[in-house]
Amino acid sequence: MSHQRIAVVGGGIGGVATVAALRAGGYAGEVVLIDRAAFPYDRPPLSKDYLAGTRDLKQIALQQPEWYADQRVELIGDADVVAVEPAADTVMISLADGQVISADHVVLATGGRAVRPPIPGSGSARVFVIRDAEDADRLRAVLETTDAPRLLVVGGGLVGAETASTALGLGASVVLVDPLDPPLAAAVGPTVARFLHDQHAAHGIETLATVLESVQETPRGIAAQLRGEDQAREFDAIVIGVGMSPRTELAEAAGLEVDRGVLVDAGQTTSHPRVLAIGDCARLRDHHRAEHWEAAQHDGQRAAATILGAAAPARTASWWWSDRHHRHVEGTGTMRAADGTHTVVARGEIGDGPFAVFTLRGDVVIGAVAVDDSNAVRAARRMIDRGTVVDPEKLADPQTDLRKLLRG
Amino acid sequence: MSTGSSTGIRVASADDIPEGEGIEIPRDVTGTDDDIALLKDEDGSVYALNNTCTHEVASLADGWVEGGKVECPLHSSKFCLKTGAVEGLPATKDSVAHRVEVREGEVFLYPGERPA
Repeated sequence: MSHQRIAVVGGGIGGVATVAALRAGGYAGEVVLIDRAAFPYDRPPLSKDYLAGTRDLKQIALQQPEWYADQRVELIGDADVVAVEPAADTVMISLADGQVISADHVVLATGGRAVRPPIPGSGSARVFVIRDAEDADRLRAVLETTDAPRLLVVGGGLVGAETASTALGLGASVVLVDPLDPPLAAAVGPTVARFLHDQHAAHGIETLATVLESVQETPRGIAAQLRGEDQAREFDAIVIGVGMSPRTELAEAAGLEVDRGVLVDAGQTTSHPRVLAIGDCARLRDHHRAEHWEAAQHDGQRAAATILGAAAPARTASWWWSDRHHRHVEGTGTMRAADGTHTVVARGEIGDGPFAVFTLRGDVVIGAVAVDDSNAVRAARRMIDRGTVVDPEKLADPQTDLRKLLRG
Repeated sequence: MSTGSSTGIRVASADDIPEGEGIEIPRDVTGTDDDIALLKDEDGSVYALNNTCTHEVASLADGWVEGGKVECPLHSSKFCLKTGAVEGLPATKDSVAHRVEVREGEVFLYPGERPA
């Protein structure tokens, strides 16, 4: 192969996975990783122990500093890419400081930004999102420097629930609003969604099924008007966790096809053969964006395989996790069949102990969610990938060894 | 970390460990800084690694063992059973592998000794 340089734009899990896979796959040319941050760090802790202050930025680094030298990856940190210009034989990348880098292939791993709905007054410095380390730093500063801080969390999905739980641990009084009651039912099914959402109230968080209509700064905080309430409530900070939108500006300016994400084929190639896109900024044609940590990692491995002309790693059922109120939640696959013809099997009692809920279509598992029972999800994931035929009664029995069930 | 004795410490029967799973041997038995996870691959081979995942506090003995690797039960970091080398993020630091031998169905651990 004649490659001499590959550039990856974005140092999230996807970008780091890409450069690691290029080297693991034997790529001998130059590898450049360009990141907005000083060095690539992991984002899941931002709403958990990084926000709590129990792990710092170095402790959530995606790789140790010496790794980049060991892997001969040139890391360009604190850098903004202002243009990506693909041509027939090369791609030019322009940085804000004037530096121009040419590469044989560029992998866009620009991620997303937190959605900020157009709520009147929400431009206030007391309104936060959680996407970058700086976001978590600013929120933590308010929570730590305010006596008995009052926090409103808007959105009861993963980021909202985790942020609410962490803030509670930092001594905040927390109100969590979401128009859905319970939130997250599409991801975890209605039963587990109810259980998870009720955990907030059980730990002293006030949950309300409503929406934030407007906010206004006050001398001591910020007043939030919730739909259905006569009076605004005062908080010290508001966190909005209602999803993310892909960062596609560079791709759009480059003339690439973009539609709710940079459109890619099964090998992560965009509408230009020298540009690939992965992770939260990308969307596989005719599919929804995955928006999961591991999915971004797999995208990066696939992009590296495409560039190297190697066989792509097999696609697997999706996998995600969440930690809140000292419970570890994991999920895989989908909790409802597209045509609604699924059955649900609970393993263990939904409560304080470990449990899992499986979704089956016929006698094949299509999804599972577990609380404090990771290995149930590990097993379910392999059942999904292999199409293992299972007996629902055995699946439901906590005494059944799922590994044995998996072997058939 | 202590150096291993020539005969090792008998820590379990091989049958105590289900295939694809692990058990935890406490540090006051092994004399090591960390507890040790005895992990049995699907082919029945037994391996020993420091029990605490190098990423966050989680017990590798509770992990999923398959294909020469153990997957952390918390965030699915992967470690090589033979060497302890990290083979999957989010962990970035290697675990420590210890020599183990199975003799007549009994597992002998050599804490602090590298596997052959």
